[in-house]
Amino acid sequence: MTAPVLVAEDLGVSRGERPLFRGLGFRLEPGRLLLLRGANGSGKSTLLRALLGLAPTDAGQLGWGAERFDPRSGQLRARAIYLGHASGMKAELPAARSLAFAAELDGSPHGEQALTAALARLGLGRRAGLACRQLSQGQRQRLALARLALASAAALPRPLWLLDEPQTALDTDGLALFEGLLADHLDRQGSAIIAAHGEIATGLGAVDTLDIGRFSARAARPVQATEADQP
Amino acid sequence: MSFGWSLRRDLAVAMRRRADSLNLIGFFILACTMFPLAVGPQREWLQRIGPGVVWVAALLAVLLALPRLFEHDLGDGSLDLMLASDRSLAAIVGGKMTAAWLVSAAPLVLASPLMALAFALDGETSLLLALSLLIGTPILIAIGAVGASLTLGLRGAPTLITLLCLPLFVPALIFGAGAVEAHASGLSPWPHLALLTAGMLASLVLAPWLAALGLRVSSE
Repeated sequence: MTAPVLVAEDLGVSRGERPLFRGLGFRLEPGRLLLLRGANGSGKSTLLRALLGLAPTDAGQLGWGAERFDPRSGQLRARAIYLGHASGMKAELPAARSLAFAAELDGSPHGEQALTAALARLGLGRRAGLACRQLSQGQRQRLALARLALASAAALPRPLWLLDEPQTALDTDGLALFEGLLADHLDRQGSAIIAAHGEIATGLGAVDTLDIGRFSARAARPVQATEADQP
Repeated sequence: MSFGWSLRRDLAVAMRRRADSLNLIGFFILACTMFPLAVGPQREWLQRIGPGVVWVAALLAVLLALPRLFEHDLGDGSLDLMLASDRSLAAIVGGKMTAAWLVSAAPLVLASPLMALAFALDGETSLLLALSLLIGTPILIAIGAVGASLTLGLRGAPTLITLLCLPLFVPALIFGAGAVEAHASGLSPWPHLALLTAGMLASLVLAPWLAALGLRVSSE
């Protein structure tokens, strides 16, 4: 599944009237992870949404392999798995059922066996029948991450993961499980962009960091496109 | 597939939130029965206002259900999954509208002959009333879905939906209640029902696209 190189050039995003960042660019090679850093409100989540065309961009274009397109076209949607702040799981449905619906939408396997394996991998094997509202915050986050386990089990896995604060509410074990999933994904030449505050994936070598604050539209200095920091 | 996905999902959720449907039927029945109590038991009066009252009560009951259409999905993040997926959002919305009709409006259609009894309507008239609601309620859900998508995430969304949608419900109300009215005055109800059907088909074709567009705009 080698992920094509993802290139962002000169992205500009506003939130309402307020410009968030300008001239943001990066290059993401297969098998690498891009960590988005930045203060609260600097636009990490908005950048993830903008890549998928969920938040409007004022300027810039994306490159996916040889293709070039406007992010507003949403062409990355078919190639990416997006995990936002909220888990996306229905509070009323049993955990396994809710996960199955999410996986079906992703085009991931959602048969009984695949679900059981994914839930077991995230340590939720015995919680499969519980309604999501009965799960703790951390368990709900694990359930959301089980989507990633199913996504990697697909015949044609989606090569790009876009994750917004995936480590939220996870305990040490949960964090280790998540990093295991991520490491497998990168090993298979997938790529990932993660908006994160805390330490994450410290064991992984292939990590680039992008500090959104550097592209802040409110900065006094002139803004220009720069490449992501290489470690 | 996207249509079936959201239809199955919303029905599965509704099965675990049966109180919502029951509340709506309860509202519908109570709203209808207030009128005979208020205007008194004169048969001719009741027969005269019956179809209109049942229609208005059904319309208000549907309005009560509309804010929920996308609100929960927005809250738990599953709306983001739908927006971020590469499937047709219009088809997904179509499935959600169908589920909403089955869960919120179909029970009203089924309960309407019972309500016709309260207004001393004869059997034929009450069947006609149910038929007009069967054709008309999808229009209400369709228009309402567009209204709900545009007001999603705004403060006071339920009130805004009401202000936005009620005026647009008027044609459905006129032709729906008008069909029963025409029958009662010895005219043919079919021209009204034909127009109502045309309205239903048009709104079913247009509404999923418009609501999908509304969701994209209001989630930006």
